[in-house]
Amino acid sequence: MSGSGDGAREPSQEVPFETALSRLEALVARLERGDLPLEEALATFEEGVALSRRCSERLEAAERRIEILVGEGAQQARPFEEPGDTAE
Amino acid sequence: MSQLPGLGGARVVLSVSELVASLRGLVEERIGRVWVVGEVSNLRRAGSGHLYFTLKDEGAQLRAVLFRGAAGRLPFEPQDGLQLVAYGEVTLYEPRGDLQLLVRHLEPRGRGALQLAFEQLRARLDAEGLFDPARKRPLPTHPRVVGIVTSSSAAALRDVIQVSGRRSPATPLLISPTRVQGEGAEAEIARALDRLAERPEVEVILLVRGGGSLEDLWAFNSEEVARAIVRARVPVVSGVGHEIDLTIADLAADARAPTPSAAAALVLPDREAERVRLERDLRRLIGAMRAVLQRAIARFAQGRDALRMLAPRARLEAQRARLAAALHGLERGMRAAQERGYARLAAAAGRLDSLSPLAVLGRGYAIVWREADGRVLRRAAEAAPGERLRLRLAEGELRAEVRGPEDVAEPKSLGNPPPSPTRPR
Repeated sequence: MSGSGDGAREPSQEVPFETALSRLEALVARLERGDLPLEEALATFEEGVALSRRCSERLEAAERRIEILVGEGAQQARPFEEPGDTAE
Repeated sequence: MSQLPGLGGARVVLSVSELVASLRGLVEERIGRVWVVGEVSNLRRAGSGHLYFTLKDEGAQLRAVLFRGAAGRLPFEPQDGLQLVAYGEVTLYEPRGDLQLLVRHLEPRGRGALQLAFEQLRARLDAEGLFDPARKRPLPTHPRVVGIVTSSSAAALRDVIQVSGRRSPATPLLISPTRVQGEGAEAEIARALDRLAERPEVEVILLVRGGGSLEDLWAFNSEEVARAIVRARVPVVSGVGHEIDLTIADLAADARAPTPSAAAALVLPDREAERVRLERDLRRLIGAMRAVLQRAIARFAQGRDALRMLAPRARLEAQRARLAAALHGLERGMRAAQERGYARLAAAAGRLDSLSPLAVLGRGYAIVWREADGRVLRRAAEAAPGERLRLRLAEGELRAEVRGPEDVAEPKSLGNPPPSPTRPR
């Protein structure tokens, strides 16, 4: 109940969204030049699809998380209830 | 202690020292520490570093002294003519018999004084390089977590949450609550900034507060807050007051937004724009791959024709396998790309379903039609006794036979008539 939202969570080494997106755009540009050998073109294409997939998953991750620090330090946080959150 | 002579008694002669000492005791005991507002005049800084001045209004004046230590801590430089609020204790300086206010704390009051204090602090911090554009850090375009320093009950926070929900609902927010005005608010704001810097997942901080008077926003004009902004581990975006309010915090921040909502919009990516960009990239990727394959197929066909007469069959087979693998890869990629489209389609279908007549049946209604010609019935008179009917329920169907019309004419007040099943909505 209290102090359940402790700090240690998702130390994920996941690629930042913007990096993934610009990588995807670089792949598109490379493929569009049209001078890649077939295997390389395919590998480029597959990497691009995987990237776009990951980006889109990131975008659609709909779970909203708002927390507020409690206590003196920065160790503890609890979910924040929005004040005056009337329906509609 | 202060035993003054009564009228009837013998004459008691006091020394000046005795009298002044008892007066001093009286003043210190009865008045003690006070807040007092007045205009500064005759300001003079002594060689010792103490500050001497007179505090006055239309009716009276009072000598005041601010000792070196307290004078050094002042966030601004007092000047003659300024309205100030002083906190201190009233005493009597015995060697001179002067009433005096020993000032411990001094703050500007009124527009003129506040403005002056602002300009002074701005000039000092600017000279130190705190506002240097070269010091400003770029904002992340997709922050992993956005920290927010503000009052947890303020409209500013509501605005930020609303904007983030619209633009970027997947981005987590972490609020570091603080008072934003009143005695000691600047230290609290600085601490709230420091706390967020301890959370490694926070990649940008919003420092926001809604509009208010110059005095209300005063905590954001403090050196303490400015330094906390500069030492923050991640960039800080300020959104304080309204567009016209410029604060020291705004100058020190890595980016300044005119309002809390604008600050949120500055750091939170717009998901819809991102979707559009992603979909465009994917379309281009697929288009380019298709072009690559078409060229490969054309080359293969050419090569095959040339080889047909002389080349060993095995090589031809190898080429064909390579092409098949390529096609397979393309197909897989396109399927992955389409899955998301399907998910959206499914969501849309779900919405459609709630409008369909079947959903109405789920609430307990039935569709009735004549077995003979399949005509859907809307009134009792449409079916003669003995006629066979079919009833379509939410699940399954029933067969029925008409026993006769009920005598009730039109149902008057059975609540609302059931909706016509053939015309939902």
